[in-house]
Amino acid sequence: MKTMSKITIGLVAAALLMVGCVGGGAKSSSKSGASEIVTEESLGLRTTDLYSENTTIATKTEYGRAQASSSTKFKRAFQDAPPMVPHDTIGMLPIKIDDNRCVSCHMPEMASGVGATPIPESHFTDFRPKHSIKNGTFKKAVDNYKNEVAIKKTNKLQGSRFNCTLCHAPQSQGNLAVENTFEAAYTRKDGANKSSWSGSSLTDSLDTIIGGDNFVTKADVENANSVAGSLDH
Amino acid sequence: MSLSRREFLKSSAAASAAAAVGMSVPAELEAAAGQAEGGWRWDKAACRFCGTGCGIMMATKNGKIVAVKGDPAAPVNRGLNCIKGYFNAKIMYGADRLTQPLLRVGADGKFDKKGKFVPVSWERAYDEMEVHIKKALKHGGPESVSVFASGQYTVQEGYAAQKMMKAGFRSNAIDPNARHCMASAVVGFYQTFGVDEPSGCYDDIELTDTIVSWGSNMAEMHPILWSRVTDRKLSDPERVKVISIQTYTHRTSDLADTEIIFSPNTDTALWNYIAREIVMRDEAEGIIDWDFVKKHMIFTAGPVNIGYGMRRAGEKSLKDGKYTALEMEIIDKEMKTTVSAKEGPALEPFGYKAGDTMKHTGGTLGHWEISFEEYKKSLEPYDLHYTATIVKGDPDENLESFKEKLQELANLYIEKGRKVVSFWTMGMNQHTRGTWTNTLAYNVHFMLNKQAKPGDGAFSLTGQPSACGTAREVGTFTHRLPADMMVKNPKHRKIAENKWKIPNGTLNGVGKQHIMAIHRGIEDGLIKFAWVNVCNPYQDSASASHWINAARDMDNFIVTSDGYPGISAKVSDLILPTAMMYEKWGAYGNAERRTQHWRQQVLPIGDSMSDTWQWIELSKRFTVKDLWGAWAPSGPRKKALPSVIAKAKAMGYSDNTTMYDILFANKDAKSYKLDQKDPIQAGYDNSEGYGDSRNVVGSDGKVFDGYGFFIQKYLWEEYAAFTRGHGHDLAPFDVYHKVRGLKWPVVDGKETSWRFNAKYDPYAAKATKETGNSHAFYGTLAKALQSGTLKGKDKSSKKKSLANKAKIFARPYMDPPEMPDSNYDTWLCTGRVLEHWHSGTMTMRVPELFRAVPEALCYMHPADAKAKDLKQGGLAWVESRRGRVKARVETRGRNRPPRGLVFVPWFDEKVFINKVCLDATCPMSKQTDFKKCAVKIYKA
Repeated sequence: MKTMSKITIGLVAAALLMVGCVGGGAKSSSKSGASEIVTEESLGLRTTDLYSENTTIATKTEYGRAQASSSTKFKRAFQDAPPMVPHDTIGMLPIKIDDNRCVSCHMPEMASGVGATPIPESHFTDFRPKHSIKNGTFKKAVDNYKNEVAIKKTNKLQGSRFNCTLCHAPQSQGNLAVENTFEAAYTRKDGANKSSWSGSSLTDSLDTIIGGDNFVTKADVENANSVAGSLDH
Repeated sequence: MSLSRREFLKSSAAASAAAAVGMSVPAELEAAAGQAEGGWRWDKAACRFCGTGCGIMMATKNGKIVAVKGDPAAPVNRGLNCIKGYFNAKIMYGADRLTQPLLRVGADGKFDKKGKFVPVSWERAYDEMEVHIKKALKHGGPESVSVFASGQYTVQEGYAAQKMMKAGFRSNAIDPNARHCMASAVVGFYQTFGVDEPSGCYDDIELTDTIVSWGSNMAEMHPILWSRVTDRKLSDPERVKVISIQTYTHRTSDLADTEIIFSPNTDTALWNYIAREIVMRDEAEGIIDWDFVKKHMIFTAGPVNIGYGMRRAGEKSLKDGKYTALEMEIIDKEMKTTVSAKEGPALEPFGYKAGDTMKHTGGTLGHWEISFEEYKKSLEPYDLHYTATIVKGDPDENLESFKEKLQELANLYIEKGRKVVSFWTMGMNQHTRGTWTNTLAYNVHFMLNKQAKPGDGAFSLTGQPSACGTAREVGTFTHRLPADMMVKNPKHRKIAENKWKIPNGTLNGVGKQHIMAIHRGIEDGLIKFAWVNVCNPYQDSASASHWINAARDMDNFIVTSDGYPGISAKVSDLILPTAMMYEKWGAYGNAERRTQHWRQQVLPIGDSMSDTWQWIELSKRFTVKDLWGAWAPSGPRKKALPSVIAKAKAMGYSDNTTMYDILFANKDAKSYKLDQKDPIQAGYDNSEGYGDSRNVVGSDGKVFDGYGFFIQKYLWEEYAAFTRGHGHDLAPFDVYHKVRGLKWPVVDGKETSWRFNAKYDPYAAKATKETGNSHAFYGTLAKALQSGTLKGKDKSSKKKSLANKAKIFARPYMDPPEMPDSNYDTWLCTGRVLEHWHSGTMTMRVPELFRAVPEALCYMHPADAKAKDLKQGGLAWVESRRGRVKARVETRGRNRPPRGLVFVPWFDEKVFINKVCLDATCPMSKQTDFKKCAVKIYKA
């Protein structure tokens, strides 16, 4: 299984490289002449007559029909991107409140046995601070002016992650409408196959003001130097 | 996770300090500090897509975006994004990004309406725009120059566009695509509260016991909010109830305890049924909170014969025969209808019965006070039997069990101590009685005192990422000015004129050119110049064939600014390559009043430049004498606009002072300095401020090297000035760069979670100081009313003030103008899917999203497919009186309609469903009803 997916990944990567060559030409800027004629029909996703529907047909959906146990996994689009669904989902969807068939194979304790991608630690982590009402008044559990977080690792698949199809979708085969020149980069070994978003990395780089104070100061609120900032001016 | 945020911050600071002085740090701390591996730079930003307004963390390396992850510090989404949210990483990298201006030219190289596109310089593009705007002004004055604006503009772009249009061109022909998505919610807010935007916030989800989704597929359209609902439901499955009220089954219903499938448009009746239960059972059960109602509410009514927002008899294109006899079958209803058996009982209290002729006059916002007894009369028709009979939307469902569900619904609302949140978006807004239906939602919550409290409230969700922040708050609508001010109000115009340092009398007081009026004005020949900004009006407007033909066949000049060539670009005369979301500084405002800023992450691609830059460059081309002279009456404006040139000179401007100098590069603006020592700016590009390494040759033929001041901060601060101290208060620019958004009003640095509630909203606290009331509905619009009955206003009645009160409206169920009949026998509903955003110009270019949903399917019931001899996956024509498109049939997908209804999403250019849809609107809000028209379906 493992070797198998490595080979496939190689193939996919090669395909991506080729795609990169074909599509990588976000047209060079300006230096044009009237010689470069662009027709209305050549622009965009629909290259047929826009004013009549007779010759226009949508791109057909062709999801892979491989069974869950024998499908080859897709490479993650970038570090910690949600992986796409490589197998047929007929009979597995819709996910209902009392019937989530995805978890039956993807829960970590099941996954390795059936060759499924295990649900990662982030999905068992509770990120939501528990605000409350005390004596009839709403109280926040964290201070959002300080960008506080309340992160707790649990043993339970989080309710917020119950709707698997929120992020994970099956993929139609065939050509893309337009190529995409995004280049995947991974900071972690095996980043194309595995989530690394757990533990201390969850809060990496949350301070976005470099070399300054991340907290709102009194001076910030007073905004004294903003001459346009009030109607009196 | 053992490190708290505070500890983390400490360790982070320790590690970087240590590194700076060459100290050794304990390995554990070093690991914890773990600054961006692989040379990545992470920054916070807002998601590009829906009105939920999630925060993202975005990584860049070597000037390219390389990753996106959920932001654990973002209160909206706490470390999670939906599939579109993650793929923000790829939206700017479609291989066919527009990189240069494209102009249609003939063989001689001159502009030719029938010509093909060739690349031109920015200078040539602006020369053409200047010529065609001047030509349009000559033809029909300011009303001939129009903008298709956007709820996806950044706040600053929308502000710049509105300022140049209204102060510069003196034109109110600027209206956003947001008109299509939440205008009915806005008019509902104004009518009910006297001021726009919601009372509650997303924390209501974790605090409530009951979530009712009214015609909204939140699971796909507000996915992260739905993940919060799911989390809440799973945390207490017995107590928490989820009710899904829909016209067809979809993912939102998959999680619900109860699903109610209603017949299109009858949500109006369903709200009135709940209100009737409250009112009729009150005497016996003591349901209404009379203390609250008496202190805070009045009852109101308005006319019902207000049409359906279609073209009216006498309009030029109707007279010119541009509409077929089939189309006229429906358009004629704008003037006159026959009251149907279905709507007859509901209209009886208003003086109509089935079979009567109803003559319609154009929509009016007028309304008057009525007694509670009159209101009660309006509810009488909605007994369980009538309601269930007209509301039941699945012909295969049993009426009696349907009735039980309606009773359960009413009882959940009524139950004492049960908190309830009602959510809606397009289902209630895209509705020919959308404004009414919005107000009916508040009725129910008000009578129960379940509004504007933690965990309780009717909550209008917005569709676009800055429909609230830009379209509504900045006021890029034809009739609005910043911060809830109106162009119609002379005092408001004066406030704006003073702030903008333009002569009093400059602003045009007639704001009637809403987005459909712009399309129709182009077709009628009134409008000769239209500029499309962050919008795709030629794909997203119903009766689409009319508008694409008017763009191509008539004498006008259409310009589209976009990152990619969508349908609007294709039908334009000039296409401008435009910087996208993370290629510029910006701010968005979401559906819970949360404003979020981000910094420019990367340089734009090719020669593309931001919308802000494009507007400012245009302002350089027009002077006082070009724009501020007198203009004769035109279009909806029946009086001349006076010359203000003399006044302008008295202010120190000359004939030749440019709008650039007055509106954008003035003394105030230049006080906002570019400064790489400012920690907000340090290390970040600012293509408008400095220019950038691409050395783009700008609109004057010279390399653009920046405005030399912090234009985005200036625009923000000047706009925010309108809001501060006026119940709409926005925080300073720098504050937003330090926090993950704040919910306005932000007073003394503190955000507001529940508006109108004296405990949480400083404005309400102030207004209730003397009365000690729990709430103050302090909006000021239409807060003095005459009185009357359901049948009309008592013209001799005196206006009475209702300061700090909200309104409960009597409004009946009415049919939409087009319903299925024997020929067009099926309802067509359009909308979105999770994986695509609006017209798909961005998401169809992201491989994962394209492959997830590569085509718009025609979702239908298997029995309908069988009856029409259609096969799963086979092609079918979907045809209305206006046009037809082909789509593949899907009978077992995520959307599962009842017999008699199909759903076709509108993201797919190849399934151009808006050619089929009808451009009827709510006549009060002018928002198109994309959810209802009649079609026939047959094998292709």
